[in-house]
Amino acid sequence: MESLFLQQVVNGLIVGSVYSLIAVGLTMIFGVMRISNFAHGDFSMVGAYIAVFILAWVPGWFGWVGSLVAALAGVGILGLVVERGLFRPLITRWTDLDQIMASVGLFFVMENLAQLFFGATPRMLPDPFQGATVDFGLFSTSMMRVLCISMAVGIIILLQIYLNRARMGVAIQATAQNRNAAQLMGININLIYGLTFALGSALAGLGGVLYGTIFAIYPTMGAIPTLKAFVVTILGGMGNIRGAIFSGFILGVAESLGGAYVSMEYKNAIGFVILILVLLIIPHGLFGRSEE
Amino acid sequence: MAAKQKIWAGLGLVACLALPLIITDRYIQHLLVMSLIFVIFSSSWNLITGYSGQLNMGHAAFFGIGAYASALLALKLGVSPWIGMFLGGLLAAAAGFLLGIPALRLSGPYLAITTIGFAEILRLVAMNWVDLTRGSLGLYGIPPLPGFWGIRFTSELTFYYVALAAAAWALFCFRRITRSEFGLSLQAMREDEIGAESIGIGTNRYKLTVFTISAFFGGFAGALLAHYQRLISPDMLSLGETFQALTMTMIGGLGTLTGPVIGAVLLTFLSEGLRFVEDAVKMDVRLIIYGGLLIVTILFMRGGIMGLWERWRGRSAGDGEEA
Repeated sequence: MESLFLQQVVNGLIVGSVYSLIAVGLTMIFGVMRISNFAHGDFSMVGAYIAVFILAWVPGWFGWVGSLVAALAGVGILGLVVERGLFRPLITRWTDLDQIMASVGLFFVMENLAQLFFGATPRMLPDPFQGATVDFGLFSTSMMRVLCISMAVGIIILLQIYLNRARMGVAIQATAQNRNAAQLMGININLIYGLTFALGSALAGLGGVLYGTIFAIYPTMGAIPTLKAFVVTILGGMGNIRGAIFSGFILGVAESLGGAYVSMEYKNAIGFVILILVLLIIPHGLFGRSEE
Repeated sequence: MAAKQKIWAGLGLVACLALPLIITDRYIQHLLVMSLIFVIFSSSWNLITGYSGQLNMGHAAFFGIGAYASALLALKLGVSPWIGMFLGGLLAAAAGFLLGIPALRLSGPYLAITTIGFAEILRLVAMNWVDLTRGSLGLYGIPPLPGFWGIRFTSELTFYYVALAAAAWALFCFRRITRSEFGLSLQAMREDEIGAESIGIGTNRYKLTVFTISAFFGGFAGALLAHYQRLISPDMLSLGETFQALTMTMIGGLGTLTGPVIGAVLLTFLSEGLRFVEDAVKMDVRLIIYGGLLIVTILFMRGGIMGLWERWRGRSAGDGEEA
């Protein structure tokens, strides 16, 4: 009984690490640009497909490293294109409604284009450990999932270092805190917008590769990471990066426990129930919002 | 001016009445019926999002509630679909009211994601409550609208008149609502919420009222579809369904009465025109086109087709039509 509970918590933490990674990208974009990108999960889908194709071409460790690098670069560039082409023109004639609806339009375009090009057949990423598992006594998990959570945590730590140490990282944070003041300090806002959107999308892409180590990859998979990332982002306070990291793990564990003890069928509803309750009781999320 | 408009309205009505008699092709008649159902559905979404500025991304929830409620009442309890349609609408309104109390305190992305969540939860219920809803198989064999005076409502032709009457009634209500003091207050609130509140508009109560009305007509449209298709599935509750109403309204013209009507008819026929393309590539390209059109409308065609029309007539962009 106890080990089942612990097992579920561990499973939840692993899935949660992926939620965190994807949500961090979303919350960064919101924090800096005030854009709610409902197509965010489709960037994860693109990242996952990049990994599918690269691993089919180059199997083994080189393929894995290559997939992550290619997902980072490929989805980052895609993000840049989308930012320049779609969201940048909308920033000037800003209404929440237009921007959200445009991103929902993008969501359906990307999802269905993927179906057109990649076909509807679900794909799996090959397991570099040939299904090896590790037993920690009270719980066990596959090596692939250990890889997944370590990669996710590693990327989040690297991001934190970048945001706090690198010049551009600090500029991103400054812009999130106060756009006008940042501009007065000589920060090129347009550059920061492009960088933030590309970086945020690239994080979703990396998250997509890791998502593919746990779940099947198919063209319409993007809806789930989008919705999960929004739930996580709102729980953590929109724009709050640390909040999103913690909330990702919280949602992962809550879903895992809910799936085991409450109902497997309604696992995907758990996040929304938590979301509605949090919005009712503490509208600024569990960790407060990073507000201007 | 008013007399001229009445003549045009009369001519339009005659044209609508005569249309299925001139076009006897059953497939085109079917498209006309679908257009009319989506006229009601998109217009009801337009009421909450276009007129009061509250982004409801879960309108499919009401569509589905209306459809399932009316279908189940007819299947399990033998309630006449004529009554069931209204009960379905009322149930959707009740759901809208209950959701609206907490949700309408939110706005923008928060409201969008909460309403998506609401529809998603209901979709999961429709998928998993197999005893009642038959899960993903959906409900089939839903009774048609019972006939009277020897008229049966199982053909496209006869159902067209039911849908036409329903759409006319819905649009009449929307016209009355948006022109009333209540409707004007909503639009004031959309433009400037704090300003509206400061002149004594009870914004929360107004939002809740309009959300409930919008939900009623969304559910009513769903019930209409259920008794027309006689087959419904949990897909009716999906985000894609809300997206259809959204795209139709945006392309026609958000916040205008005529916009969603034009958009619904145009996109229903356009998506059928795409059948040729779809047969060639063997998949659904409809949503790609919808998404593309939506993005182009938002970026380059403010106010949709009605916006273009207004600019062409050299008027300032506004409500879209004058009385």
